[in-house]
Amino acid sequence: MLKIQNLHAGIEGKKILNGINLEIRPGEVHAIMGPNGSGKSTLASVLAGRKEFEVSNGTVEFLGKDLLDLSPEARAGEGLFLAFQYPIEIPGLSTTNFIKTAVNEVRKYRGQDTLDAVGFLKLMKEKMALMNMDQSLLSRPLNEGFSGGEKKRNEIFQMAMLQPKLAILDETDSGLDIDAIRIVANGVNKLATQDTAVLVVTHYQRLLDYIVPDFVHVLYKGRIVKSGPKELALELEERGYDFIKNETNVTEEV
Amino acid sequence: MTKRGICKGTNSKISWTQVETGSSITWKYPSVILKGDNSTGEFYSVAVTNNRQQADTGTKMLHVGRNTKSRIVSKGISAGFSNNSYRGLVQVGKNASNARNFSQCDSLLLGDKCGAHTFPYIEVKNSTSIVEHEATTSKIGEDQIFYCNQRGIDNETAVALIINGFAKEVMNQLPMEFAVEAQKLLAISLEGSVG
Repeated sequence: MLKIQNLHAGIEGKKILNGINLEIRPGEVHAIMGPNGSGKSTLASVLAGRKEFEVSNGTVEFLGKDLLDLSPEARAGEGLFLAFQYPIEIPGLSTTNFIKTAVNEVRKYRGQDTLDAVGFLKLMKEKMALMNMDQSLLSRPLNEGFSGGEKKRNEIFQMAMLQPKLAILDETDSGLDIDAIRIVANGVNKLATQDTAVLVVTHYQRLLDYIVPDFVHVLYKGRIVKSGPKELALELEERGYDFIKNETNVTEEV
Repeated sequence: MTKRGICKGTNSKISWTQVETGSSITWKYPSVILKGDNSTGEFYSVAVTNNRQQADTGTKMLHVGRNTKSRIVSKGISAGFSNNSYRGLVQVGKNASNARNFSQCDSLLLGDKCGAHTFPYIEVKNSTSIVEHEATTSKIGEDQIFYCNQRGIDNETAVALIINGFAKEVMNQLPMEFAVEAQKLLAISLEGSVG
């Protein structure tokens, strides 16, 4: 589904990713872990198409298409979803209106009929029940005055509405207490199918207690230096990232 | 162009709502003379400027009678090389005891070549009155646009959504059919202003 080969990228001339290789197949859950500044969020941003980041080398194939060639909105249309680490506020714009626009734009891209108000409400009610989402949140302005937990739940709710093929969760656990993590993780698990995949970017192991990965990758200095089964996350939690730093001799690139 | 209304009787009310997108140069100050006791004046405005347009608009609220109230909500959106000013007068005469005014002026900038200005004039001759003025200036963030993009929404639609959110307080004052038209008008006025 997603095939990243030798991806190099950076921002404002500073190199952050130094040759990422990663393949994700349908039905899989991958976790990317790593210390601060290792490039985790950069990888998520590059995949979503944030234009501040420049790709200097490498290829990314998504469902047979050259991902790097597509605009951010086309990537969303193809089925790539990024749950933001810091969801953005848009004052005055109701969350419902925003989601309706997003759903219909994506449907247009996929060549489906756009939903009218009745059809949209029906879909929304269905997903609200699935995600235990509160109506009051959806009538408020987008993310404005939302608590950390509400923002993250709103991200996962949008994921449910847009039905992506690949969901990237960028530090979705940051700033959440254990109960909120459980709610968000349950939401993600409910949405997982045989045809979809999830890439979890996280700092801590605790989210992976709830979203159990098939593979764990450790990112360090812009490279995946170690990959393994889910037990690797536990090992990291126990021993810290230092053992990875010692184990690998990644030289600083200028 | 200037319209004026007078609230002559007690408990009377005048409310102006304007959506301004048109001319190259606009000076417009719809005003209310609050003569009757307990009368109310309101002014709701959205002004959009693009390219090299200049808009200088606002209102005059002249409090003459007692217990008179006025409320001003002005939303200015500037794009391109345009300049958008709010210029308003709130005047409380010496007999206007307990007069009350609240003004809010918010400006939104698209790009870095446009300007937003606020000139509130306040003249108060009665010490029992309360006059408040709030103003904000903000910019459409790259972050907001990218967030919309990531949900499948292209730049132009994203700007329209953000603008309509920004102007919502005023749009809510319009009758339904007109509000729908006004929303489209805002989107058209700003077409091509974000690359």
